[in-house]
Amino acid sequence: MECYGGIDAGSTYIKAAIVNGNGGIQGCKVVPTGIDCRNTAREVFGELCDELGLSPSSIPSVISTGYGRRLIDFASKDVTEIKAHAAGGIRTAPAGKRIGTIIDIGGQDSKVIILDEDGETRNFAMNDKCAAGTGRFLEVLSRVLKVDVENLGPLSLEAKAPCRINSLCAVFAESEVISLLARGKDRADIIAGIHMSLAKRISGMAKRIGVESDVLMTGGGALNPGLVAALEDELMTDIHVAENPQLNGAIGAALIGGNSNGGRG
Amino acid sequence: MNRKTIKESDQLQRRKARFAQGLVHSAETALAGLEDDPDLPQGMRYFIDVMRGAFTGDQKGRFSNPSHFQGADNRKVIGTYCLMVPEELIYAAGAIPVRLCGGSYEASSIGDELVPRDTCPVVKASLGFSSLNLISLYQRCDVVIIPTTCDAKRKMGEELAAFTEVWMLEVPHVKESEGSRRQWLEQLYALKKNIEKLTGKRFRGGKIRRKALDAAIKMVGRAQYEARRLYELRRASPPVIPGREAMLAINAYGFDTAPEWTEAMALLNDELKTRRREGRSVYSEHAPRILLAGSPPIFPNWKVPSLLEEMGAVIVADESCMGSRYLYDPVGTTEKSVTDMMVAIAARYLMPCVCPSFAPNEDRLYRLLQMVDEFDINGIVYHVLKGCVIYDFELIRVEKVMKERNIPVLRIETDYSPEDIEQLRTRIEAFVEMLGRKKSKMKRG
Repeated sequence: MECYGGIDAGSTYIKAAIVNGNGGIQGCKVVPTGIDCRNTAREVFGELCDELGLSPSSIPSVISTGYGRRLIDFASKDVTEIKAHAAGGIRTAPAGKRIGTIIDIGGQDSKVIILDEDGETRNFAMNDKCAAGTGRFLEVLSRVLKVDVENLGPLSLEAKAPCRINSLCAVFAESEVISLLARGKDRADIIAGIHMSLAKRISGMAKRIGVESDVLMTGGGALNPGLVAALEDELMTDIHVAENPQLNGAIGAALIGGNSNGGRG
Repeated sequence: MNRKTIKESDQLQRRKARFAQGLVHSAETALAGLEDDPDLPQGMRYFIDVMRGAFTGDQKGRFSNPSHFQGADNRKVIGTYCLMVPEELIYAAGAIPVRLCGGSYEASSIGDELVPRDTCPVVKASLGFSSLNLISLYQRCDVVIIPTTCDAKRKMGEELAAFTEVWMLEVPHVKESEGSRRQWLEQLYALKKNIEKLTGKRFRGGKIRRKALDAAIKMVGRAQYEARRLYELRRASPPVIPGREAMLAINAYGFDTAPEWTEAMALLNDELKTRRREGRSVYSEHAPRILLAGSPPIFPNWKVPSLLEEMGAVIVADESCMGSRYLYDPVGTTEKSVTDMMVAIAARYLMPCVCPSFAPNEDRLYRLLQMVDEFDINGIVYHVLKGCVIYDFELIRVEKVMKERNIPVLRIETDYSPEDIEQLRTRIEAFVEMLGRKKSKMKRG
């Protein structure tokens, strides 16, 4: 069966995905972007093909997306993150759910995408001005707290009395966290506060364009259960987490390639 | 002490040279983006030259006079801001109007030091240009007229007075009242007197006479006629001229004299008309048709118009006060007495203007909806210059009426600095992608 590739060249990680003609996910891979986006992408895609026993030349279309999408020289086409996430969200959502809103929290930006009945983008909002509201915010603060990013979520769920973090700016929030630590506050409470602050920022953006249920969360941020819970509280709605949230963009890109080829053939 | 003054002026000279270099660079970059168009109409050359004359100097950073200042040394030059200063009065008195609303990133950086941080870049750049007094557009002005429109422009008047003579022109903010109309007419009579005093006895005995005023109205009217022809030509589908070029041609009016500009615009329009007849177009008919609304892009800040068209959309319409709104409404006179003409001028510069500094401003929503229909618009890009609260305020209403029409609106808040171009590019590309899909879906039915 014919397979299609997708590369999501993000600011922090590069994600590669391969899907088959029926939209089934064949394989995925995530590696840190590093300093040479182009070569990292080529390598990770090569490795993924090897693992699946495919030859890169047998794949008719590779579609790139993400911040470095134009740098991927072996891609046949590039699409914006918005389009890729919309396409991926429909496929990776829990079975039977009709997704109205996708919230994507990436390393360098976050976005809210509203979908219409056909799963096409109807409206979107992006936060791309600064680290506030992005995965970067968590990365900066996890360093201060000496906690790995992966452990932030589980730790925050143990919080008893979440602290308030008032600064939205990552730099100011950092000094706020340092002073909370100096006052002897519990780490779990601080982390829960960080998630709440992030959730406020994102829900502000989401409410402005109007949230439609069901809500699906994608991007690396969705791997953090504390952040998902904080957003659920803030938006007062259930949030589904995509299967392989971090890979959603890459899967979406691969699916777009499959659809357009399928449409022609 | 003497040494200190010498040192200071030396520093200032170096600062000016750096500024000039930056400005020339930005302007040339913006112009190169237009000149790269393989389908650039011949008629656009003139407008590109006007911009080049005004904003790029020689290599030493010396700025040449724009063409119309040459040989006009004995004529007074009056700088204007916004859209409410009647050019007819200036022309009738034998003076030349130039539009000074600034669009330069370099100038706005200089202005940063002179005003509060949250001031809009238009005011920052205007002050920056005036404080350095380097390019002849600003140097040559004998006086500057500032209408009291938004807060920033009003307060700018006070700060500008440190560098040049400033006349404030009081514009009422509520149009629909007899009192404000009377007050506005009085303001214009006072302005007329001041202009007469400035141009003085040397010019027809120091009075704006009936014939001169009539001629000035006709002269500006001809410019408006050509501007509206361009407006009509932009309705064509597929489009015959990119919006970034059409907007530049209108923008150039501010830095040129009406007769020269009109002549050049007539040639451009004829060329575009031929294009349309021959079925030549610059974009595919699938390119999403955009209405660029909100704060004005002012040359050399061609960031948003260039990005939009680079990403595959075409700006078929704009409502910018440096673009379509600038020259849309003509003065309508019935009798040719000075009084009648003054009343007609007062009406033209107040009533149809839909600057968001007016309240209520329902007319603007009506105009925008009209444009959506006239130009077969697929989406609106709403440009908000940072600090421009009033345009941002009206976005609430614009979004609401457009939602009813199912017209997507993308708000873009930015200033003149190039630092956010890549982020804007992604957002604009996604918007264009979304509109393109919507458009092709509608075609298929």
